[in-house]
Amino acid sequence: MTGALSVTAPVAAQVTAIEASLLAFVVLTALATAFARDVLAAVIIFGAYSLGMAALYVFYRAPDVALTEAAISAGVTTVLLLLTLAKTTRIDHEAAFESVNYPAAGAAAFLFVGLLLTMDAIPAIGSPNAPVWSNPDVTQWYLAETYAQVHVENTVMGVLAAFRGFDTFGEAIVVFAGGIAALIVLRREVFA
Amino acid sequence: MTLVDATLVAGYTVADVLLYAAAGFAVLAIGMLYRAVKGPTMQDRVLAVNVLGTNTVVILGLLAAALGEPTFLDVALVYALLNFLMAIAISKFTVERGGVL
Amino acid sequence: MSDSDRRDDANPRDGGDLPPHRAVDRSGRLDSTERQGTPYTESQVIMPTVKVVAPFAFTYGLFVTFHGGGSPGGGFQGGAIMAAVVFMIAFAFGIESTRTWLANTVVVALAVGGALAFAGIGLVPVALGGAFLQYDLLPIPIKYGLEAVEIIGIAPLVAGVLMGLFFLLANGFALGGDGFEPDDPDESDAPDGGSGDGDAGGDSASPAAVADGGREHGGDA
Repeated sequence: MTGALSVTAPVAAQVTAIEASLLAFVVLTALATAFARDVLAAVIIFGAYSLGMAALYVFYRAPDVALTEAAISAGVTTVLLLLTLAKTTRIDHEAAFESVNYPAAGAAAFLFVGLLLTMDAIPAIGSPNAPVWSNPDVTQWYLAETYAQVHVENTVMGVLAAFRGFDTFGEAIVVFAGGIAALIVLRREVFA
Repeated sequence: MTLVDATLVAGYTVADVLLYAAAGFAVLAIGMLYRAVKGPTMQDRVLAVNVLGTNTVVILGLLAAALGEPTFLDVALVYALLNFLMAIAISKFTVERGGVL
Repeated sequence: MSDSDRRDDANPRDGGDLPPHRAVDRSGRLDSTERQGTPYTESQVIMPTVKVVAPFAFTYGLFVTFHGGGSPGGGFQGGAIMAAVVFMIAFAFGIESTRTWLANTVVVALAVGGALAFAGIGLVPVALGGAFLQYDLLPIPIKYGLEAVEIIGIAPLVAGVLMGLFFLLANGFALGGDGFEPDDPDESDAPDGGSGDGDAGGDSASPAAVADGGREHGGDA
């Protein structure tokens, strides 16, 4: 965990105490979710993971994302996973943790190192030189023009519902299609 | 200059102190994670996640104050409400493994 | 659970000397007959608490939806919170009673109505000669156009689909028959009666599967 952050010294120096502790929490919960042998325990720990992620999103000033994480992950995903578990058989386990599959772990480590090597090319969080921020035609334009053009204070919602409205329509249809797909997979013709 | 920008001691502002307090709560969350992972019973895990949720609400509140963004408290409110849902869902699920839902 | 779902006479176990909540072996999954025969008194802690919390949570979902233009949130988050309130009620008062309270028509109307409203708001400017979702052609202020998409489009759609998924997963996989012909008991358990491990107690499962219960149903295949 700290190894991941101290690849380059400047990055490590910029990580504040709150970021370091929240990142440690998130990584630990993610690992525990992956290795927990009991599925119910994994679902519960995954709920804890979403708690850490929401706090991290808030710290990075993304309250819309944090709100989505809170509503979907804590409210909906846990409940739907529990309902699915209620329909399955429990296997009794001796061990608390899953045994490690070494070829899979090797592949994951390979991917991890590969992704780590690209980290130097990624701009630091909050850097004013990051392309997405400094480009005057995208982010700066939206920040300057959203209120003038669509009269809402929340730029995220302005982009979602107005400037990228057709994409949002597609997303809404994806959600709708997801419901229908669940009906087909579970071979029902009514929801309730 | 607002209250969070006021300097307390040795150049540390109120916002810094709030952020360090939030970091302390996050460290406590890691401690509580041990109970959620170790168990041994499901009731332990339910309680641990419930405490973690309350802890997160405190962290979110501290962050909202430190960053000077009162609207961030919306997220804390949502978490407080939905953490309750998570707790009752898991605790009712542990009775007969979902048989009484 | 509603009382109509309890079939105490169908309970094959006699856990007479055990307390009621220990009456069934916990190691294996309960089949539907055992599950519905399990005596269980509703929690006196959860129900009153949910009665108090649910209206506030629902109001907060409405706030997140309606106030998406000025604060974090929007239709997606608000719809998910409102659906979560329904989950909360279902966990407190039983999924079956909530299912009868919130009819399938309501869930489907929310989802379909939301999708149609979004498409309709988008297509009105097209009819007037503009582009899809060109808000300045709508006869209302631009801000209200955006809010309308979030409030009567996305929020009901998300809430309806999530509630539908909840009730659907609570029902489980339709055993016996193809699931699309609930009123035909003769053909119902021919194709895949041996798959064996699902809840046959849902209201659209075949009557034969419900009457047999999960165990016997899996046994004769």
